Amino acid sequence: MDMTFVTNLLLASVHMATPLIFLALAELYSQRAGLVHIGIEGLAAIGSLTGFLVSYISGSPMTGMFLGALMGILVNMIYAYATITLCAEQTVYGMIINIFALALASFIYRVYFGAGASLAQVNLMSTLSSALGITSDNFFVELLLDQTLMVYLAYGLVLFTAVYFNKTKSGLNYKAVGEYPKAAATLGINVIGVKYVASIICGALAGMGGAYLTTCYSTTYVDGNVAGRGFIALAAVIFGRWSAGGVLLACLFFGFCDALQIRLQISGSSMPYQFFQMIPYIATVAVLTLIGAKKAGPKGAGKPYRKEER
Amino acid sequence: MKHSGKLISVLVPLVSVMMAFVIGCAIIAILGASPVTALQALWTGAFGTARNISTTLSRATPLIFTSLCACFAYRCGVFNLGGEGQFMMGSIICCYIATRTGLTGLPAILLCLLAGAVFGGLWAMIPGILKVFRGQNEMIISIMLNYVASLFMSVIYTNWLRDGTVPQTAAVPDETRLTRIFGRATTGFLIALVVGALIYYFLFNTSMGFQLRAVGLNMTTAEYNGFAVKKYILLSFIVSGAIAGLGGSAELLGTQYRLISGFASGYGFDGVAMALIGQLHPLATMAVAIFFAALRVGSTAMQTATGVPTSVSDIIQALVIVFTVAGLAMVKLPSFKTALARLHMKKEAA
Amino acid sequence: MEELLRMEHITKRFGDVYANRDIDLEVRKGEVHTLLGENGAGKSTLMNVLFGLYQPTEGSIYLRGQKVRIDSPAQAVRLGIGMVHQHFMLVEAMTVFENIILGDKNTKGIFIDKEARKKEIVELSERYGLDVELDKPVTEIAVGAQQRVEILKALYRGAELLVLDEPSAALTDLEVEGLFRMMGKLKEEGKSVIFISHKMREVMRISDRITILRDGRTIRTLDREATTGEELADLMIGRELVPSQYVKVEQAGEPVIALREVDYHKTSKHNGLNGVTLTVGRGEVVGIAGVDGNGQSQLAQVVTGVIAPDAGSVDMKGSTVAQFTPNGFILENVSHIPEDRNKMGLVGDMSVKDNIVLKATGDPRFSAAKGFFLKKKAIRDHALAIQKKYDIRCASIDQEARNLSGGNQQKIILAREMESQPDLLVAVHPTRGLDIGAASFIHDVMIEARDRGCGVLLISADFDEILEVSDRIVVMFEGQVMGEFSGKEPPIDQISLAMAGK
Repeated sequence: MDMTFVTNLLLASVHMATPLIFLALAELYSQRAGLVHIGIEGLAAIGSLTGFLVSYISGSPMTGMFLGALMGILVNMIYAYATITLCAEQTVYGMIINIFALALASFIYRVYFGAGASLAQVNLMSTLSSALGITSDNFFVELLLDQTLMVYLAYGLVLFTAVYFNKTKSGLNYKAVGEYPKAAATLGINVIGVKYVASIICGALAGMGGAYLTTCYSTTYVDGNVAGRGFIALAAVIFGRWSAGGVLLACLFFGFCDALQIRLQISGSSMPYQFFQMIPYIATVAVLTLIGAKKAGPKGAGKPYRKEER
Repeated sequence: MKHSGKLISVLVPLVSVMMAFVIGCAIIAILGASPVTALQALWTGAFGTARNISTTLSRATPLIFTSLCACFAYRCGVFNLGGEGQFMMGSIICCYIATRTGLTGLPAILLCLLAGAVFGGLWAMIPGILKVFRGQNEMIISIMLNYVASLFMSVIYTNWLRDGTVPQTAAVPDETRLTRIFGRATTGFLIALVVGALIYYFLFNTSMGFQLRAVGLNMTTAEYNGFAVKKYILLSFIVSGAIAGLGGSAELLGTQYRLISGFASGYGFDGVAMALIGQLHPLATMAVAIFFAALRVGSTAMQTATGVPTSVSDIIQALVIVFTVAGLAMVKLPSFKTALARLHMKKEAA
Repeated sequence: MEELLRMEHITKRFGDVYANRDIDLEVRKGEVHTLLGENGAGKSTLMNVLFGLYQPTEGSIYLRGQKVRIDSPAQAVRLGIGMVHQHFMLVEAMTVFENIILGDKNTKGIFIDKEARKKEIVELSERYGLDVELDKPVTEIAVGAQQRVEILKALYRGAELLVLDEPSAALTDLEVEGLFRMMGKLKEEGKSVIFISHKMREVMRISDRITILRDGRTIRTLDREATTGEELADLMIGRELVPSQYVKVEQAGEPVIALREVDYHKTSKHNGLNGVTLTVGRGEVVGIAGVDGNGQSQLAQVVTGVIAPDAGSVDMKGSTVAQFTPNGFILENVSHIPEDRNKMGLVGDMSVKDNIVLKATGDPRFSAAKGFFLKKKAIRDHALAIQKKYDIRCASIDQEARNLSGGNQQKIILAREMESQPDLLVAVHPTRGLDIGAASFIHDVMIEARDRGCGVLLISADFDEILEVSDRIVVMFEGQVMGEFSGKEPPIDQISLAMAGK
């Protein structure tokens, strides 16, 4: 095994981890406000399509990214209204968002490009090194500079999230909503408001994670291009034990598994690469089994909050 | 007040379907086609000829299985979102038996169906056991296991049972395939109907089914009344998984014949949605599955007739689900109930 | 002294149940005002209205003479009202410090200025003698300390009026002294305290004035100096000694169930049992009296097999019970009217008919072929007969049980439990929230069962009910049996003392 294989693998891991970070943070913000969201996959799909379409039309991947986030918010408002205001079962409604958003994304693509049209392609967001005109094969230069703005944003967001939840007043209140909404309400925290804000953040991040796939990762859009990343993100939140740092490590680890399985797939190894793809899911089931139900995430997660209840 | 609960449970899905169609028609009109022509084509495509009807029923068959799977578990108060994985596990063992053991004909078919059910049930036991003994969230676990099953199936058709250069398994031999009874509809459809009828009978005409429903509606009361709550929960997982696994076998032997990328994709969540729209009534759930299959089959004809892409039908289906589940949540809200009660009082006063 | 708070004509209804009816309350500046009343008298509801958690159906609230609308706890906090709930509102995943500063709006800045906040909190805690360890997770501190955290939370938000909902219930004597010192200090500073309790000794010691609530209504407001504990107890219970209409049995039959030295979570005063020895014989009603939350729920769960005791033995009709499962006890012919009819007794989404036969669908009367064929006609006929016999008022037996009134719901449970001709009936708060008609019907059925030879264990926080139907009265306090008294001519003063733990 030579060095380039290792460095390439590491670089690829970082690439694969970036969309996961966005999606996992989306899940984290949602769960921290007590909303378990299994519809991240769908939000990412619609974000991905929007990002693709907008950058195809405008030629600007950045605009695509922005509108992808906006679309994520819009679709997530359906989830928010149903689960927060109507108190619908969160998991069920997350699943519905998956069905709906995937159908919507596929539909918009069909309508715009027509059935069976030749594969449309877009330009990807440029990396910092290419913007600066630096070309180097040095591993560290590549790792640190040959990245799109979104990669820096992803890591910045992780840092921000860690600080927000641990050091700020607002972050503390936010967490209280997910842990014990009634107690939060008695302290004058606007529980419903925080939950809606959470849904906006979640929608935006999930939309961005999806848009990343079509503005920074692949030049084409195909249905199902999110490929389970929304669920891996859910896994990453559980595996990372609901903390920003943990989520980052989980995403890097899952990104590494993903990069490894792609390498295996290409090299034609006899070891089925799918076993590596299974790791996030099996790891999550294992983690859940080991930590037990009591410590599994914010205590108020999954339960509807009703104002006046006797 | 007496029947308003039942009335609402029928009204919500009906209104949702109507709203979804109105939006669907608006989209069709915006795309420049005539909604009337499109709907006509949709209808003809799904039910216009005997052949089309048979296609619809054939497409409905796997959906009936996965929706019954979801329905049964829900009735016991547990959310089995793993129907897709259980369906796949059933089809995997079925594929192995049908293509590798050398068994053919009826014995092979019977063994395949049985093994499919057993494997589906075993796969569903994992979330069941974790729920009962570790108190874990069965929904998250069953979703994770869907992906494990799907990837495992991928190992099967790309490696272990791969046949030829394309990543797919060998086809089920002709003599092991399910008989076509009516156009494209096979005995698999009949099996689905029988399973649905059996579940219906079990839930509403046996003491065990009665207790299982009571567990699903109020676990504490069930426990206080001496019902073996944990046993019922585990049982509901296993039976629900077995239904899906049986469906996986029937789909492989009746329609698909080989495992290939995309096999059964989306069936699990679709099934859950259909069970919800069918209000967890097995017979209604089956009807909903056929309705959704019709929307899918008919959409091709609609595309041919009007040029509107088939995915309009997917949007309509998704909207039906979006509206129904939101509507059902809404009518459970205390404020909605109060408003309804007030309306009744006014009526009575008038 | 000047008036701080006035609540006028407060009415709060949940569905068709009145929790508060036309309540008046006036609290002055710098006083400890006690709300006295039994469980279900409406104290907590009234305080939740004051704190903006519930909206009153009718009535108005005045603070410092100004009419105010309190539509959220945030608003209450802004108005200077602080509340310590009976069930603590602490976020378990957080530290003491985080719990105190949660939702704080008084300080500027985005970040938590730990040092400055801690200094403030330490000052507060020293001033009122509320000693807490700020950096510990709240799950790791004792109940008494958790309560101090709750009080600090309120004071930290600048509460001028502090509501303490049964604060002494979970405290040791030493902690109660600390609590009283703190209340004294608040008074000195001109702040007011609303103190909710039913411990007479504490009430007499700390209060300036006392308002008594009963059945959701204000009975009277008294000055502490002008009253006695006996008067308060009489007003609280509202007892005008009406002799029981039932003939009391003095000699019970052979024991149906006998508990010997039963422990369950022994150290928990409020959710445990500590060395309980108790016998219920055939043909007698044993009434368990006591203030709610002194182990009665656990006692009910042990004698119906829901939980297994940690130590001690339970004999059922002469043989020792080895396995505690509800089904095992049902097979021993034990019937149970559980304390929460909606959560534990009924399947609300099922029909009246289904709830009547809930336990019995496997019975050959209602199904054939080992339960695989339900005899729907037989079930319907049975349900109709029961509906008539127990006078269950519903539009149809196919109506969902949740839509019935409380009394009719309770009759469904009663019918189901009595039709099996039980040897032991365990009835927990069987008439809570019911009107007089339904209540006396339920009492009649219990007495009938007794006369047939059934042993009845009645657990109730309603003292009148205990006096009315019990042949023998057992008082529980903090998980222990405090005494046993005859039900024929009950020594009320002694029973009252026992209920207070003396």
